[in-house]
Amino acid sequence: MIARDRNWLLIFAVCAALAVLYPLFADGYQLTVIRDALIFGLFAASLDFFWGRTGILCFGHAAFFGIGGYIMALITLNDAIPFGSLLGIMGAVAGAAFIAAIIGYFLFFGGIRGSYFTIVTLAMGVICQQAAVSWSSVTGGDSGLIGIPPIEFDLGGTHVDLSQDLPSYIFVAAIVAVVVLALWSISRGRWGTVLTAIQDNEVRAAALGHNAPLRLLVTFVVSAAIAGLAGALYVCMAGLVAPDLSGLLLSTEVIVWVAVGGRGTLLGPVLGAIFIQRAQQTISSFNPSLWPLLLGCVFVIIVFVLPDGILSIYARLKSLLKGRRRAQ
Amino acid sequence: MSDVLLQVENVGIRFGGLQALEGLNLTVRDKELCCIIGPNGAGKSTFLNVLTGTLRPTSGSVRFLGDDIAGLPLHRIARLGIARKFQIPSVFPSLSVEDNLKVARWGAPSPARPVGELLELVALSNRAATLAGELAHGQKQWLEIGMALAIEPRLLLLDEPTAGMTPQETLATAEMLLRLKGEFSIVAVEHDIRFVRALNCETLVLHQGRRLRSGPFHDIETDEMVRDVYLGRR
Repeated sequence: MIARDRNWLLIFAVCAALAVLYPLFADGYQLTVIRDALIFGLFAASLDFFWGRTGILCFGHAAFFGIGGYIMALITLNDAIPFGSLLGIMGAVAGAAFIAAIIGYFLFFGGIRGSYFTIVTLAMGVICQQAAVSWSSVTGGDSGLIGIPPIEFDLGGTHVDLSQDLPSYIFVAAIVAVVVLALWSISRGRWGTVLTAIQDNEVRAAALGHNAPLRLLVTFVVSAAIAGLAGALYVCMAGLVAPDLSGLLLSTEVIVWVAVGGRGTLLGPVLGAIFIQRAQQTISSFNPSLWPLLLGCVFVIIVFVLPDGILSIYARLKSLLKGRRRAQ
Repeated sequence: MSDVLLQVENVGIRFGGLQALEGLNLTVRDKELCCIIGPNGAGKSTFLNVLTGTLRPTSGSVRFLGDDIAGLPLHRIARLGIARKFQIPSVFPSLSVEDNLKVARWGAPSPARPVGELLELVALSNRAATLAGELAHGQKQWLEIGMALAIEPRLLLLDEPTAGMTPQETLATAEMLLRLKGEFSIVAVEHDIRFVRALNCETLVLHQGRRLRSGPFHDIETDEMVRDVYLGRR
């Protein structure tokens, strides 16, 4: 096993241990705060799975989060549908994946890459938000849909009810851990290596027999499906869904979480999401209008100064020290 | 005729008002080595792009094992068994040498050579863990040849394989190709005459998009017309 993989697993284990121990020290409110932050962390990991490995930035990822949320809300709010929670989650995942497959098919096989992809997905996010506002007979318009029930289902005879703080925290933390671990094992293996190759030189990869557009499409669809899952979880925990959940602000925030946490690390974006939301709450308590300003500045600084994220400071210092030692 | 691998018939290509290639024919038999030479701007790379299906000819046909390959997606062409080495070394800089070869093997329908053997073939065994972006220029060229070999090609197309190499590296590359001759067909586009001389094979000379001469290299080398073109007298 390479040192990099070992380090990743070590950090993952530490984070998992902290997540297990946290309920011992936290009250119900703190648990729900971290639980919601973890859901956004899952969302950030989903973006990182695509952006981190392909180098192609999706600027409308909140569209899939929102689509997942709305589908979940519509299914669970309909009393005629049995097993609402489970069907809702499946519907949310499938719906987001389906939309991503259609949009992605035309973009990837049409040769759209780089900033053009970013611009088109930006428009896609705006369209989704507009649709959520305008299609008020279904989506509830600006005010969204409220009264979404907490997740509950029967699993092998035991009834799982996530209306309480602790069970919902455990459920979310477990899903985040499993999904992040799964995405990591996919992206470090053959799939991820070929994606890196495609990122380096797509024509070369194709000339070696790799179907690059298809591979990018599948990665995009998986990424969107997980964003949809995160959206579905979030609306059940929050109890409401609103057009903001597919909006431009959330699309930007998730990019910042990934950029701050470290693109391509999967775990970094989850931590980035948790810490930045923590900062947001603290800063907004001084002055609510301060936050968007700061968010914008952080985004610009990260892009220009630390394109590999805050975690890369450590790696940079190390290579700097190494370089100095060699120079001496 | 059953051993004909690649059959190019009367191929022409026009970019707007420019007739880049005209009336070119080429037959590559199984396990044959041939070279395409010509001065700068003769249409060598364009012709190679047509052979790999990257460019669709405006007239004529390119058949590989009897099937028209013009306009097929790149990865389909690769899976038919046509490997290509690009003019600019196109390795994956952020992957290690070993991973570069692995990616190449994974693309092949039935890779046979293990990575270790490929590393040995291209003399990079001791650089397996190095990032490909950090290799010297000549080593990148070799790595790329190794990647082309990894897909177990029936036909290997080389676009200026020795561009930017030292004379020693150029001769080492020629030796490498002569060792591989007999395993599959090779078409090399080159303008380094020393390299072509070392290969000493069937040669097609292009000039201004047309065939100037073709035949065994020693005939070509002594041809007055070819000399004139190379020295810029015509």
